[in-house]
Amino acid sequence: MNRPFRSAVEWQSRAILGRHLRVHLKNWHTAMLPPVCEPLVLLLAFGVGLGRQMTALQWEGRSLDYLAYLGPGILAYTAFMTSFFQSLFSAFMRMRYQKAWEGQLTTQVRLEHVVWGEALWAASMATAYSVAVCLVLSGFGLAGLLQLHWEWLPVVVPMLFLAALAFSSVGLLFTAVLPSIDHMGLPFFLVIMPVGFASSTYFPLPDVPWVAALAQVNPLHHLAEGLRWLLLAGKPTWHLAWAMGLCGLLLFALLPLDLRLLRRRVFGDV
Amino acid sequence: MTAGVAETPGIEARGLVKTLGGKRVVDGVDLVCHAGEVVGLLGPNGAGKTTTLRLCHGFLRPDAGTVRIAGYDLATSGDDARRALGVCTQDDTFDGDLTVRGNLAQTARYFRPAIPAVSEHIDRLLEQFGLDEFADRRPETLSGGYRRRLMIARAVVHQPKVVFLDEPTTGLDPQARVGVWELVARLRSEGLAVVLTTHYMDEAERLSDRLVVMQWGRIRATGTTRDLLGDVVGEHVVVVPSGNPGADRVEAWVRARGGRPSLVLSDWHLALDAAGLAAFVVAFPDLRYEVRPPTLDDLFLSLAGEERLQ
Repeated sequence: MNRPFRSAVEWQSRAILGRHLRVHLKNWHTAMLPPVCEPLVLLLAFGVGLGRQMTALQWEGRSLDYLAYLGPGILAYTAFMTSFFQSLFSAFMRMRYQKAWEGQLTTQVRLEHVVWGEALWAASMATAYSVAVCLVLSGFGLAGLLQLHWEWLPVVVPMLFLAALAFSSVGLLFTAVLPSIDHMGLPFFLVIMPVGFASSTYFPLPDVPWVAALAQVNPLHHLAEGLRWLLLAGKPTWHLAWAMGLCGLLLFALLPLDLRLLRRRVFGDV
Repeated sequence: MTAGVAETPGIEARGLVKTLGGKRVVDGVDLVCHAGEVVGLLGPNGAGKTTTLRLCHGFLRPDAGTVRIAGYDLATSGDDARRALGVCTQDDTFDGDLTVRGNLAQTARYFRPAIPAVSEHIDRLLEQFGLDEFADRRPETLSGGYRRRLMIARAVVHQPKVVFLDEPTTGLDPQARVGVWELVARLRSEGLAVVLTTHYMDEAERLSDRLVVMQWGRIRATGTTRDLLGDVVGEHVVVVPSGNPGADRVEAWVRARGGRPSLVLSDWHLALDAAGLAAFVVAFPDLRYEVRPPTLDDLFLSLAGEERLQ
């Protein structure tokens, strides 16, 4: 294992991860609200509210309620968005304004540990939020509104973790290059939100050649479609293999680059 | 501890070179500090003090040269070297999401092997640093002086052998400065090797056993305060109010001797050796002036004067 990836399993990265968890748990009562309320509101507003106004939706030759279509989509969307929020917004605040990174770096913790700590934390939060979404979805199941193949959950959770880890490497790339917090809107509204919505999460993609071609290299599209097949039909598909492959590629390509750019940013050196 | 280990300097940096943005900001610097010693690193702004410290604690990698902390090479045994080192940066870099006690406890978790009975150790540290009554408060609610205390306490929470204090009293009121001085004296008495940078001459004189003066990225002079002033400034400083009758000839006289008088407010300050002073007395029998021993302020003014001429 080369150097940047070996650091992920060293004790210092776990110490940073532990720090984030400790701070988060101190505010657990407020921290619990977003992961539970956001999917609940979205599923009620779109899945139930909007879904009731719609005729059944066509997906892969099947007729589906919009709520059923949306459920797995929101799961993928949550992993994606939570990972970005943590690796971009929260990590940027800790690096730039709180100077917490600089304090950590005066110890046995090195920059690669700080960066891995942020990435692992973003992925852990994204996974925890996704599990909260699963709880909300199971509530809809109990109410008789949605039937999902929950026996695949042990496969779903690690896949969401890996995907979120890969997304965090994109978030950290923005953290490395954005000049100030005022520029945070650029990646968020120009990249993250459009990709988040236009990836078979909230609606099926239109049958247009260039859209279909783009979707083939979009890990979020494959993740959403793969989870949909798995949870609605109980069927593992090549979408999941593609999603994991693309996520692995993102991680291996971007994390060493993140480290290089952040080293220059934090230390003023290469 | 064996005699061999005891003799290992807390920090030993040799031949440090660093170029940043195309400029050589550190150019062949040696820095040694032994256990129980305080070394003051001085120099005008931009002399390379902070870059030297950053090279010594691993924030920057030197282009050339080696840094050994408690005998461990920072480049090859980084983990051991960092375990023996505590750093108090110029800016407050504590963790704003944690309390004062939480900051110390969390920082202790960033070191291995961990210190035994860490909770009791932190209680003792809070008491020693006068932070016990603020233990459960957020650092940003503390006054500047107490924030600095927290920064220094954090730098030594893992019981290092060497501690770097980068301008530990900048921006503090006089009372808080004295508080920090007492802490530095305590660290020395506990056998730590302390390297500090400062702009305050009285502080450097009072705290340091040895001074290292930097200029343009190089060591300009090193030694005790007294040795150093003699080497760089001269043995005597003559102060001539520029309004005094005859003072207008003083500048020309000094320049004719190859010296550089500095004008501070409306006084000429002339650094002279014994022979120079004797010549001055003969040259200006009717002039009113004051002769005093040189201080580190004169040293700084002298270095700053050289810098302007560059």
